[in-house]
Amino acid sequence: MSQRVKLGKLWDIYGTLCILLVIVVLFSALSPTYFTRPENIVQIFLQSSITIMIALGEFFPILIAGIDLSVGSVLALTGMITAQLMVAGFDPTLAVLIGGVGGGLALGAVNGLLVNFTGLHPFIITLGTNAIFRGVTMIISGASPVFGFSYDFVDTVTGFVGFVPVPVIFALSFAAVLWFFTAKTRLGRNIYAVGGNKESAFYSGIDVKLHTLIVFMISGLCAGLAGVLSIARLGAAEPAAGTGFETYAIAAVIIGGTSFFGGKGRIPSVVIGGLIIGTINNGLNILRVPTFYQLVVMGGLIISAVALDRLIARMR
Amino acid sequence: MAIRPDDPNEIDMSNLAPNTAGPAGIEEVAPIVRMVGIEKHFNNVAVLKGVNLDIRPGEVHVLLGENGAGKSTLMKILTGIHEPTGGEIVLDGVSHPLVTPREASEAGISIIYQELSVINELSALENLFVGRLPVKRRLGVPVVDWKLMETEARSIIGRLGLGGLDLHKPVGEMPIAHRQIIEIAKSLMKNVRVLVMDEPTSSLTSVETERLFALVRQLKAEGTAVLFISHKLDEVREIGDTFSVLKDGVSTGHGRIADYTNDDLVRMMVGRVVKQRFLAEGSIDRTSMPVLKVENVTSADRKRVRDVSFEVHHGEVLGFAGLVGSGRTDLMNCLFGAERRAGGRIILNGADITPNNPVEAVKSGMAYLTENRRQTGFTPNFTIEGNIAVTKSVKDAPLRGTWGLVDRKAERAVAEEQRRQLSIRCAGIDQSILELSGGNQQKVLVGKWMSIAPSVIIFDEPTRGIDVGAKSQIHEIIRALANAGKAVIMVSSELPEILAVCDRVAVFRNGRIMDTLDGATATEESILSVAMRDGK
Repeated sequence: MSQRVKLGKLWDIYGTLCILLVIVVLFSALSPTYFTRPENIVQIFLQSSITIMIALGEFFPILIAGIDLSVGSVLALTGMITAQLMVAGFDPTLAVLIGGVGGGLALGAVNGLLVNFTGLHPFIITLGTNAIFRGVTMIISGASPVFGFSYDFVDTVTGFVGFVPVPVIFALSFAAVLWFFTAKTRLGRNIYAVGGNKESAFYSGIDVKLHTLIVFMISGLCAGLAGVLSIARLGAAEPAAGTGFETYAIAAVIIGGTSFFGGKGRIPSVVIGGLIIGTINNGLNILRVPTFYQLVVMGGLIISAVALDRLIARMR
Repeated sequence: MAIRPDDPNEIDMSNLAPNTAGPAGIEEVAPIVRMVGIEKHFNNVAVLKGVNLDIRPGEVHVLLGENGAGKSTLMKILTGIHEPTGGEIVLDGVSHPLVTPREASEAGISIIYQELSVINELSALENLFVGRLPVKRRLGVPVVDWKLMETEARSIIGRLGLGGLDLHKPVGEMPIAHRQIIEIAKSLMKNVRVLVMDEPTSSLTSVETERLFALVRQLKAEGTAVLFISHKLDEVREIGDTFSVLKDGVSTGHGRIADYTNDDLVRMMVGRVVKQRFLAEGSIDRTSMPVLKVENVTSADRKRVRDVSFEVHHGEVLGFAGLVGSGRTDLMNCLFGAERRAGGRIILNGADITPNNPVEAVKSGMAYLTENRRQTGFTPNFTIEGNIAVTKSVKDAPLRGTWGLVDRKAERAVAEEQRRQLSIRCAGIDQSILELSGGNQQKVLVGKWMSIAPSVIIFDEPTRGIDVGAKSQIHEIIRALANAGKAVIMVSSELPEILAVCDRVAVFRNGRIMDTLDGATATEESILSVAMRDGK
């Protein structure tokens, strides 16, 4: 019996990694010459970095049995604000701090406060704010893209350290910080307690509303930083940027083994979940699968990956 | 694992005249069910090691045993959910090596679990006929025959003494006692001959319990065999005729209840004598300053808790008795800051500590073991360690308990200490709390509050659904806390428990303390007469 328990624990930690390996092996077999090239591996990481960033944030609302559907719009709005500030002559660092960091935290706080004050499920609140934030983005930009901002900014964010692209370093180090946060700090542990059982957390003296607010602010912050990465990669702030990104973020979090019922999940698995999404996208591109078919395959793979995970979890 | 309802044709065939037993002496009547030498292993761990059980018609047979003794496993074998590893089951004189759920159902064996299986969203009527709605044809189209359902249901519910029940109301809106009766009615509609009831009274008030007992006696008089599982010995004595005791998967005794004392029964269950009364040994000084003083606490709606004041003195346990719904739990929530107040003060050793929310309550040294373990008590995704450590972490940390790093080493030490002191039975503090028995889960929650060394402790139904051994242990802890000068409050719907532990008993009704009785002289009758004064 104890052996089965051990196997189960191992699967909790390495299950997502196994799924990633299966997908990598599959694509390597289908495209032996191109897929496994080092440049392509770097490319996969680069393509995954924004998904990973958003998924890292999305992890927290899901951890408390909620959800954040507004991450795509937060990405667009924070990116737009940052771009406009830079165009208006702000120093890029300051613009990123105000638009990306401040904007992300503020929009997340709007979600958190609305959830706390109305008592409605985050699904409803963020469904609403998703539309509101997108609308505001369109209004402040006149629905047209903003470009022409500092080359220094674009060069720095899209640059490399050695052979590793800056966004990858950025996403992975942010993941490391959040991993430490969830595993070692009281705040992080309390979020798991809130996710497991809100009422018992409340009666244990955990301020559930404060933790709910913080959770949405983290989600906003991650989407805001993803917004900064996104405008640098595109060289422009698109009002429609990030549309539908919440689906990928949620998929990455769930593929990473996070429970929809709250209280269970790990940051490293979410990173791998993001990589799985990126790998599938990349592999299908290399195999020249037309975009519309890609959507179909992507959806199917997401369902299979999660189904496999749950099947193995149940067998133990 | 639901037992599928039978085809109507087959019900008729299996209806083997339940009332043939006649008025002969109980001992001579042949058992409907006889379980002989039942063994059960799970992954090479023996849970049952040769258990015998006879169930006779017209008799209430009580199955006693601590949590984890194997009672549930035995019941699951009887109803065909588990396959026994050894032994035989004799149904109406025919031996079976194992019983399938269908055979159990055909033999008229029906079980009512502690967690009721009615569907809360459906009406009483739909629940009674779930899975076998009768149909009639209208213009060739089959439609549900509501009229037929209603007549059949009325007659059976009327038999159970609930004639006035609104059969169309969703079951979830009814009190638990009514839901239970609906479940019993469901069994009766299937021609039950052996009715198994697993701790049926654990969430009933004493009045509802009496009503249930009247019903059980009626079923017994009609020749039904009742197998009754309970931890409450007084209750067992009142309702039971014969008994069997299980301890660690072995039968440790059986016979007629009247021939044994409660101490005898407990010894068979626990293997030792368990102390029954825990009142203060010396006299309590009520002239000096009280440890805890509560002044004029009123809930925000000014209804559920109205202007409640009381004092708790050094070395004293104050009990709160009253009917379910009288506002006792609301009062405790108000004291702990978990519910908004319209007014009131809470004074600990002369200092005002009135908390506005549980965070402040924990910070100022209050502890609150809530009424419902699963719902408001434990954190299911945490280990034993995590469940114990969380309150101390909140209490120690600045910024509303959120700042700082988790000190695993210190937390493990705290959890280990509580595990030892409360003798929590587990594989280790890294075990998930979900894998523990109810009694041990409750001990973990007690440990979670003990770890902050609280000055005020509220126990709301601290021993609901846990066994005799764990129960007396928790009573001992409560007494030790009072002796150590803590302010201890205990809410309980079990009057024997109130009388066993509390030095004074505040009787609650309609959001008020109606009277405060002396624990040493109070009786169940005197408490109930206050709790139900004015006929309500």
